Amino acid sequence: MGKVLIIDINKCNGCHNCQIACKDEHVGNDWSPIARPQPMTGHFWTKVTDKVRGSVPKVKVSYLHSICRHCDEAPCIKACTEKAIYKRPDGIVIIDPLKCRGHKDCIRECPYEDVIWFNEELNISQKCTFCAHLIDKGWNETRCSDACPTGAFTFGEEEELKELISMAELSEIDLKTKPRVYFIGLPKRFIGATLFDPEEDEVIIGADVSIINASNKKEISIKTDDFGDFWVDGLSPDNYTIIIKKDGYAEKRLDADLADKDVNLGDIPMAREDK
Amino acid sequence: MNDKAPRNTNGEKKIIRGLGFCSTTADSNSVQVEVEAGRIIRIRPLHYDWEYRDLKPWKMNARGKSFQPSMKSLIPPYSLGYKNRIYSPNRVLYPMKRADWDPDGERNTHSRGISKYVRISWDEALDIIVGEIKRIKESYGMEAILSQSDGHGETNCVHAAHGIHRRLLSLLGGYTLQTRNTDSWEGWYWGAKHVWGCETNGFMDPVTNVIWDVAKNSDAVFFWGCDPETTPWAFDGQLASRLCYWFTDLGIKSVYVSPDLNYGGSVHADKWIPVLPNTDAALYLAIAYTWMTEGTYDREYVKTHSVGFDKFQEYVLGAEDGIPKTPKWAADKVGVPSYTIKALARYWGKHRVSIAIGNGGPGIRGPYSTEPARLQAMLLAMQGLGKPGVHQFKMLEWGLYNHKTKIPLPWPKYIPNISAVQRGWRYTDTPRQFIPKNMIHDAILRPPLTWYGTTLSRDYTDQQFIRYTYPLEDAPEIHMIWTDSPSWMTCWNDTNDFARAFRHPKIEFILAQHPWFENDCRMADLVLPTQTVMECDDFGVEVMSGQFCAVFPEPRAIEPLGESKSHFEIVSMIAGRFGLLDEFTQGRDVEGWIKTAYENCGAASDISWKELNRKGYYVVPCDENWEDHKPGLSPFYEDPENNPLSTPSGKIEFYSERLAKNFPDDRERPPVPHWVPRGNYHQEDLGCERAERYPLLVMSNHPRWRTHSQHDDMTWLREIGTCKVKGPDGYLYEPAWFNPKEAGARGIKDGDVIKIFNERGALLAGALVSERIRPGVVYIDHGSRWDPIIIGELDRGGAINTITPHNRTSRHAAGMVSSGFLAEIEKIDLDELEKRYPEAFERPYDPAAGLVRERALTTEKD
Repeated sequence: MGKVLIIDINKCNGCHNCQIACKDEHVGNDWSPIARPQPMTGHFWTKVTDKVRGSVPKVKVSYLHSICRHCDEAPCIKACTEKAIYKRPDGIVIIDPLKCRGHKDCIRECPYEDVIWFNEELNISQKCTFCAHLIDKGWNETRCSDACPTGAFTFGEEEELKELISMAELSEIDLKTKPRVYFIGLPKRFIGATLFDPEEDEVIIGADVSIINASNKKEISIKTDDFGDFWVDGLSPDNYTIIIKKDGYAEKRLDADLADKDVNLGDIPMAREDK
Repeated sequence: MNDKAPRNTNGEKKIIRGLGFCSTTADSNSVQVEVEAGRIIRIRPLHYDWEYRDLKPWKMNARGKSFQPSMKSLIPPYSLGYKNRIYSPNRVLYPMKRADWDPDGERNTHSRGISKYVRISWDEALDIIVGEIKRIKESYGMEAILSQSDGHGETNCVHAAHGIHRRLLSLLGGYTLQTRNTDSWEGWYWGAKHVWGCETNGFMDPVTNVIWDVAKNSDAVFFWGCDPETTPWAFDGQLASRLCYWFTDLGIKSVYVSPDLNYGGSVHADKWIPVLPNTDAALYLAIAYTWMTEGTYDREYVKTHSVGFDKFQEYVLGAEDGIPKTPKWAADKVGVPSYTIKALARYWGKHRVSIAIGNGGPGIRGPYSTEPARLQAMLLAMQGLGKPGVHQFKMLEWGLYNHKTKIPLPWPKYIPNISAVQRGWRYTDTPRQFIPKNMIHDAILRPPLTWYGTTLSRDYTDQQFIRYTYPLEDAPEIHMIWTDSPSWMTCWNDTNDFARAFRHPKIEFILAQHPWFENDCRMADLVLPTQTVMECDDFGVEVMSGQFCAVFPEPRAIEPLGESKSHFEIVSMIAGRFGLLDEFTQGRDVEGWIKTAYENCGAASDISWKELNRKGYYVVPCDENWEDHKPGLSPFYEDPENNPLSTPSGKIEFYSERLAKNFPDDRERPPVPHWVPRGNYHQEDLGCERAERYPLLVMSNHPRWRTHSQHDDMTWLREIGTCKVKGPDGYLYEPAWFNPKEAGARGIKDGDVIKIFNERGALLAGALVSERIRPGVVYIDHGSRWDPIIIGELDRGGAINTITPHNRTSRHAAGMVSSGFLAEIEKIDLDELEKRYPEAFERPYDPAAGLVRERALTTEKD
């Protein structure tokens, strides 16, 4: 039971409406006892960061979101010596702006990045409230989800959103904190290339490409498309061996390290098989 | 539970209105503005079903899936955060006069841009304005007054800016008009119209039901210089984004052809073809070559639907000039391997492909933009333009001019139209003396001028063959400028030259009325404080969102800031001083005009005035028969003889007899489109001599985080990493994007402050090193506010238009050029610059909002 927010990265176009709506709601507006005003700049109770992946011409952008997870096992609640942080019956975690004494224990203990912000002027910690002041007035969603144009944000009752929640991925931290914010489609790694025949000056269409995970030996097989491309997303951050086969051409084996980043292998010339 | 509280209770006020930035009456981005204690507390999307639970929106079905409008308005971040703009520290709050400009003495025109300003009273301001108009009229005649009045601003109706003074100037005896060139449609207007007619703008028209047809029949959409996640925002909102996701869901391939992986490509592209800026003509020619030599175009269609194909074929295959336009020929020019060009040509040749455009790319703003625009139309024709799945459509300006045929989505029952009531800009009543907007600097500094065509977007192609001059034989040159759209410096061409023109002694008086002290206001002698749309009572209509059409009474949200007045009030006051108040207002007050707008908007028979005010808005039903309207140019495709195009032949013209007859010697826009890398009008390509000094091509897009020059002061947008780059001096610089290869070659790191320069000047920018831009290019959005270090030479604000090409599109095409030109970048020593120009670096500045009015104020006079 309780409120949840599900963010589908696959539907996020990067417009930043969520970030702006949050500021529109909380900067210059005092919603005590739920929240006191957010500073004009520099704080992001919901924050969008763009992650540019790959290299020309195989590039994608994924927009990542930082926001309080309203955890059911919230480390911040346990950390606060003033007992200023509490969980409401609807699951929303609130830092009581009247009780907070600015010890910052919550900031230290929160395992997530860019979630709790310290307001120097007011000497209090602040964060997303799931717009509890609006929910209490009868709103059925938060400002960020109201402002989302693509449906990437879904806010509602846990009971009613089981199906979406089941599609979300939980990190190891999540397993301990039991968050009420879920992410679908968190970026993985991709690998891509264009195959061409330098003698014929043609791309190679329909080549068989095997992408083999070096550690677990799992293999993905695909064919190059009309542009001589293969481009596979959703891979784990491991080392891979790529085997390329096409009748008439010498087999090609390449290695790619996807541990830290997505890899565009570039335009790969294929040599004719020695007859 | 309904989350919408009743309006106007408990001291709270909720107002529903449009918050789009088209600036004509056709609004979009509908919002609810919520006010408490006289202050806006929030701005949020309108939910169309708040008051109308039984709305029956349209539904497009295709391939087993469906698409419907959202029940929320899909507003962009700058409508959402518009509070920043209303309460900007750069608002003009009272009349401001340039301190060393004395209408009765020394005018010091040379110090425009440097002078400080003093506060004066409205009475003093009106005295000056009336005195100056009378003096100009007596000395030179009324045509010595230039009206700078067109788009680029907030959207209002009764209080509209954008030419509201023209009515008064007409009553006083006339004026010279700055005509708005088709600044986001140049190539289509000056080029494509000569291929397919499509009067009057030149992009494909009608586009009726094209998106539904694409959803059903296209294999791919090529987004050609089109960013569906940026340019639709201001005029239309974000429906384009949802459509792009839907296309992907349907299995339609999204191919992005542009030098940058734009914001649309970043999330939607299945394939990115990173071309060098303004080389698309070479790419089109190589594709045509592939189709011609491999027989993969629609020969039958070309035979029955076009004229002049043989001449085009002669040029493409090399019979005309001995150069076959092969993929190899094109590869170096375009910066794309020939094998990829061939693959693209073959894919296109065997699939149903539509092209999405969006006021970007080569079809509009480059040198010789006529050529790629014409070629795009021709290539679509070679694949059977009008056939199911083969169209061109725009990702914005849906319902432009209140024309249904410009909506590619299901139609509304009617488009609510209040243009008859709009007090500002109109398309009609062009006075006898006018100057195209992109030639104002020449008109002041280098008269006389001649050119072809009015340049007005609503004029027909025939008009392009009429020669005009300035000044007219019996008319004066201009000596006064009255602007209500002060955005020359950030949006037009070679604006360092505009700065020189502004400071010419010939221009005796510059009057600006604007809510913000920005851009050209810095050059004005008198700046009048103007209200924003939130501060006046008005009437509005949602037209261009593509979702619903709607009607709003638009009562003011807040009281006017400072001493600001509405555009209508300002001109009324001046009219009153001339004893022309009744003539100017036509005997109607604001309330009277609002009622007239309601009575004539089309919805009066659907909802009473009382009910409309009680509910706050009315949603126009969709056209019940929308599915019956034939898509795009399909009637021409099916029967060209009975459904001719508006070209002289009624068909697609691969060779334009009309151009050949009128301009037989024009080598820059010949009868058959050519690859024109350079010529008399421009040397802006990588193969020309200038490229040795300026080896990068500048691409300047419509801005992501602004609407042209608007919104650059919005604090919450300026915090976004791709909006501004924070320099070591705390100043937020406009980002200049380039590839790590270009950065490495010049020792530039991400975040460095750099200089972009050519012989027309230099500007500072913040380095944004990214794989989203191909090598060989520097990309910077236009519209960043001008903050000159040396006027006419060096700008700190990042206004790229200060160094864009001076000349028009080509000899007989009077369009503007502001992208696809040469420059170089280098890292700068900021400390050294600061020491040399202490005044510029010490001006009051607020990093959150940027420029503040205090930078130009002296002591205030009470």
